[in-house]
Amino acid sequence: MGVFVFLPLVLPLSAWPVARLAETRLHPRTATRLLTAVAVVMAVCSTLCLALLMVVGTAQLPGNPLPDGWSDPEVRAAVPHDEVAGRAAIPALAVVTAACARTLWRHRRVTRRARRALAGVPAPTVAVLPDDTPYAYALPGGRGRGRIVVTTALVAGLTSAERRALFAHERAHLTARHHRHLLAAHLAARANPFLRPLRTAVVYTAERWADEEAARAVGDRRTVARAIGKAALLAPRTPVPTVAALAATGPVPRRVAALLAPAPAARTWPSAFTSVGLAAWGAAAGALVSAMSSANSAVTLFLVLQAATPL
Amino acid sequence: MAREDGRARRRGQGELEGQVLGALREADGPVTAAWVQQRLGGDLAYTTVVTILTRLLAKDVVSRERHGRSFVWTPTADVARLAALRMRRLLDGERDREAVLASFVTALPPGDEQVLRALLDIPGPDAGGTEG
Repeated sequence: MGVFVFLPLVLPLSAWPVARLAETRLHPRTATRLLTAVAVVMAVCSTLCLALLMVVGTAQLPGNPLPDGWSDPEVRAAVPHDEVAGRAAIPALAVVTAACARTLWRHRRVTRRARRALAGVPAPTVAVLPDDTPYAYALPGGRGRGRIVVTTALVAGLTSAERRALFAHERAHLTARHHRHLLAAHLAARANPFLRPLRTAVVYTAERWADEEAARAVGDRRTVARAIGKAALLAPRTPVPTVAALAATGPVPRRVAALLAPAPAARTWPSAFTSVGLAAWGAAAGALVSAMSSANSAVTLFLVLQAATPL
Repeated sequence: MAREDGRARRRGQGELEGQVLGALREADGPVTAAWVQQRLGGDLAYTTVVTILTRLLAKDVVSRERHGRSFVWTPTADVARLAALRMRRLLDGERDREAVLASFVTALPPGDEQVLRALLDIPGPDAGGTEG
């Protein structure tokens, strides 16, 4: 398998250009789906290769439970720098597993606690809670039982048309099951830190997707833009400017600006002759090479280990 | 409450609080814990009902006054207020809740506020005072 086993660990870098360009140049629905798919494929391949390295590394440890033949020179020759890579992979895989488990656990806990908080509120879909803090959330629920939570403070700050935009936005989150994309992107970013830009991009494009759906439902892009802008101005300010905020304008002004611009074309796949098309194809190729490398490594290691195992 | 009986054991704290508050709100006036217990179908222990009522008192959604040898309870807020309190506690406590709850808007850094106001032609609170 040679150097192929290391490729999926660094190939997520090939998705960075598309993570940047897809936000502005692709339809948000296409962008969300493309970026999530790329992130998931790359995360799975990267974790698989980490596991393969971990097996080779574990076989070298004294007193390991694996067959003795697995530490033979033939097996070790399959991995370049097996001493370092094999041993480094053991803690790395442990960290990845723990981080992913933690993310999943938190996800379930927040969902459960939120659902419990709303227990007893009679309204079927939209729960308007009396609260001075303006917020709105789409709370995912199985079998079309998702709920929308908004506070009176937010509803009071919007006109009726803007409220319709707000509810259409949240409903779009529920209908399109955006929380699945978000969870997948968060897990992928935990599996390989190089995938973090993709997570940021998916968080943004999912919001843009819901914005576009809201604009279609309300029939006026400017109303949606005003609803977002007003809601953001009602919300409490962040006390300390973050590094990202210093670098460029944050996601909210970009969403508003995108809504004030004409609707994006709903092309399914960009042409390869534009910069975003090139980046998208690059990411797809990266994901493909990633998949092929990890498959190649897995099969090779399987055959090598099978040959090394005394029967 | 017959449909609740099947999963009585699985009901969480929050759900019970909501039910007890809901029962109190259906009462015509101040009622005793025993009345609430009866109202909820009797599958809850009396002490459980009192515990939940005390918890609701701490959250300031019910009030009580002494009536003879026991307390009578009155709701001071509705179920939505209780849900709002619980939701706030969840949102304040979870650091990376963003993974689950896609927020309508994220908190706005100071620089973005001016950009946003300019985009939407919304005059700021300091309109005319500074040159942005």
